Amino acid sequence: MTPARTGLVAAVLAAVLTAGVLLATRHVPARARPSSPAVAGLPGPGRLGLHVPAPRVLGPERERSTWGALRTAAVARAAPDATAARVAALDARTPEGTTNLVLVLGRARDRRGMTWVRARLPVLGRAVGWLPSTALAAYGTVGTRLVVDRRRLRLTLLRDGRPIMRAPIGIGAAGTPTPAGSFYVRDRVTTYASPVYGPVAFGTSARSRTLTDWPGGGFVGIHGTDQPGLLPGRVSHGCIRLRNADVLRLARLMPVGTPLRIV
Amino acid sequence: MSEKQPVLLADVDADGALTEALGRMHGSTRAEALRTAALGGAALLGAAAGAPAAFAAGGHRQDVAILSFALLLEELQAVFYTEVERNKVLHGGLKRQATIVGAHERAHVRALRVALGKKAPKRPHFDFGAATEGPAAFRRTAVAFEDLAVAAYKGQAPRISSRAYLASALSIHSVEARHAAWIRRLAGRQPVQGPFDEPLSGHEVATIVAKTRFVMQMQTKGKPRFTG
Repeated sequence: MTPARTGLVAAVLAAVLTAGVLLATRHVPARARPSSPAVAGLPGPGRLGLHVPAPRVLGPERERSTWGALRTAAVARAAPDATAARVAALDARTPEGTTNLVLVLGRARDRRGMTWVRARLPVLGRAVGWLPSTALAAYGTVGTRLVVDRRRLRLTLLRDGRPIMRAPIGIGAAGTPTPAGSFYVRDRVTTYASPVYGPVAFGTSARSRTLTDWPGGGFVGIHGTDQPGLLPGRVSHGCIRLRNADVLRLARLMPVGTPLRIV
Repeated sequence: MSEKQPVLLADVDADGALTEALGRMHGSTRAEALRTAALGGAALLGAAAGAPAAFAAGGHRQDVAILSFALLLEELQAVFYTEVERNKVLHGGLKRQATIVGAHERAHVRALRVALGKKAPKRPHFDFGAATEGPAAFRRTAVAFEDLAVAAYKGQAPRISSRAYLASALSIHSVEARHAAWIRRLAGRQPVQGPFDEPLSGHEVATIVAKTRFVMQMQTKGKPRFTG
């Protein structure tokens, strides 16, 4: 057979085979196509019971605040150094018996490699100090911030920088003023039998400068009231009073550890 | 604490949430006994591996218990990675691993919380001690947690009655296995231990997690002691 004839035969055979394959795949339904015996009869992958969302890396956390829980009683220092001046001694528990919290402001390592946490503290006077990280256990974050305006007698709760609740309040009378400054909410008290405090109360790190001998140390609370007619007003011993409906709403929106600014 | 001492369940289960989850599957007495079991040890992995036969007929109720247990393990990891990332103590490959794996664990938490709805247990608090404060401590603890997660999913999967949840558990299990291989490689360990997975030994779980038990209490029913 000449080379030209051989090429012609090969071309015809290729065309016939291609046409055959095309016809076969065109006219035979997909389910009837021959398949590997190894996968014949196997079902599909099946439905998933959980919807796992797309993973999200941590973004910028400008509006996030971190609290740390005290594992043990600890001494706060003026600098991240065990020999630095003593700022305050902290108990592991609040006067209500809950875990004592501090608000984390920063971190540093000393020359020996020990980690220190700069924190806002529940004390009078200099309320910022350094704690050894070994004194702190669990950490948590919140995206809320509470602002108490003493001039306007108004409380504003913000989440991610946006106001989500406003309410009229009662604050300390002239002789027992509510202190101004930066503090935080450190516990929540419920189901006690005292209508004076309303249905729910929050403990804060703020302390009265005039009622230091008050049981528990004169800490300022945020709570309901049995005298809503006095609000808004300068009527308390330093605590921040809300109408009961407002404090219940606050309790639904505000987690423990929320920073508090009293202006 | 020496390098050879195992991490106990009680060391990281600050407020008893994991013990509570085990209690739902095994009964409270055995769960309490397991608090002193080594994390990664045979007893705990055996417990994670399944419920008693009498309870196995529970079907949906058992699935809820298993998903709750999975959620707590995922919370453990998610909080761990998130905390170390916020502390900004990692660099290079470890930082990349923590960032990516942390995002995965948070996604697992969200998925399980949605699936459990109101039956989801309260978010627990964990005490990681110094494990989130430096690369070496992080690496050792991350290996322990990832190996534990792989072992726990593997153990629970055959006892899930819903095929849909089983399919999801297997999807997560293989991801956890990849996490384990990744961090094992970064820790200079063999990514794959053998052709057939064996339970972790207590010695595999090098400890940096704080030893002190810690119970978080943020709310009380006591009387307020504020100024009023």
